[in-house]
Amino acid sequence: MQALLNRPEHLPDFQSPPLNEVVLGVQFKPPQGYQQIMAGDVRSLYREDFPGVQELPPLLPAFETFGPAGVLSTQINFGFTSGATHDRFWFLSPNGAELIQFQQDRLLHNWRKIGDQTNEYPRFERMIERFEVELHRLEEYFASLSPQRLDVTQCEISYVNHILSRDPSATVRSGDWLRFLDFGNEDQPDDFSLSFRQTIRGADGKPRGRLICEAATALNQKNQRMIVLTLTARGAPYPPDIDGALGFLKMGRESIVRTFAIITTDSAHRDWGRVQ
Amino acid sequence: MIGSQANSAYTRLAESAATSIVPFRGSPKRVTICEPVRGWRDPVMERMKQLVQLERGWDGYRGAPVGFDIAHFALRMLDAACGVDAPTPQLVPGSDGDLQIEWHTERGDIELDVRAPNDVLAWRRTASTGPDGEEVALTNDFSLVASWIAELLEPSCATGTAAA
Repeated sequence: MQALLNRPEHLPDFQSPPLNEVVLGVQFKPPQGYQQIMAGDVRSLYREDFPGVQELPPLLPAFETFGPAGVLSTQINFGFTSGATHDRFWFLSPNGAELIQFQQDRLLHNWRKIGDQTNEYPRFERMIERFEVELHRLEEYFASLSPQRLDVTQCEISYVNHILSRDPSATVRSGDWLRFLDFGNEDQPDDFSLSFRQTIRGADGKPRGRLICEAATALNQKNQRMIVLTLTARGAPYPPDIDGALGFLKMGRESIVRTFAIITTDSAHRDWGRVQ
Repeated sequence: MIGSQANSAYTRLAESAATSIVPFRGSPKRVTICEPVRGWRDPVMERMKQLVQLERGWDGYRGAPVGFDIAHFALRMLDAACGVDAPTPQLVPGSDGDLQIEWHTERGDIELDVRAPNDVLAWRRTASTGPDGEEVALTNDFSLVASWIAELLEPSCATGTAAA
């Protein structure tokens, strides 16, 4: 399988990771000449593979910036708009397992588990190949409105993992799965929600983006307790174009996979069939 | 996942055709660590709100309102560069939708021209830089601006020297 052949050999690999959703996305400068009434044109770019459509409120711009080390600064909702807002559209594949999210300054591609949760993850290599095609298609469309390139200001990649207890009816023991949250044989916490952030640096040592790790207890639709472990890499691409964005997403993916292997336990790796 | 940084497709829990997840709640005991209050943030937010809603032609010519993406980036930049004690800057709109952020104090001047996200021209003039000041192009790391602002806040050593 070509996609698997391209996977970097040094990356940890699992036969059955607890992956529930993967998101690849870029944020770009609002293109010249584009207005919401043209959203149907954008839909037609992807309609063959993504015939379904839904409308949602827009995502706000998000940026990773850097200052003196140790200064805690969270992404807050600034709560203002610029007047008329542009909706976000979901273009869905026939079974709903994959979707494109589009708004005037964003394009994202999601894969997710659906139904009985047995649909297979298409793997990053295949996803990013498709995302590259989708980005170029959008850039060509915007260029037809006014001569311009896609000016990418941020990229993001997220891996959402649903970690179920070995005994679904039992309290989830975080220490069985997460190295940094081991309560030993003491009573387990009823719930938790925590996050940490790490700077992703380029080869020149300068900050390129952040890895954000979030872990929280949750219930799935079968009322089974689980840990939702979300790893997101977000940052600015250099150069700020499609090639730069794809480069950041590949780097972010490596950062996510390495961190996932570091923060999860050896016994968890055995459960998930670690092969690398 | 509620409040997550990921742009998950499972945000609309009740309407999702696939797995719905909800956080479960146990003991009400919680330890909450809050961010320090930054005094400059509220007046800056208020001013920013006005600037993104400027009428086109606000300058009597073809002036554009401050770009929504530029406003959000500028706020993230200030969050990175300004500590709790930073003085509130002045925000001045540019006619191209860009934004100038300025501090003018007795110790010196700082001006940040936010031309686009990840494209900032930073300039300052203090006693140490001479009358022309110094200028640096910045992208996403504003540690230098933080040090400039800290210098503006430092107590003057001239008084101590004179007293000695």
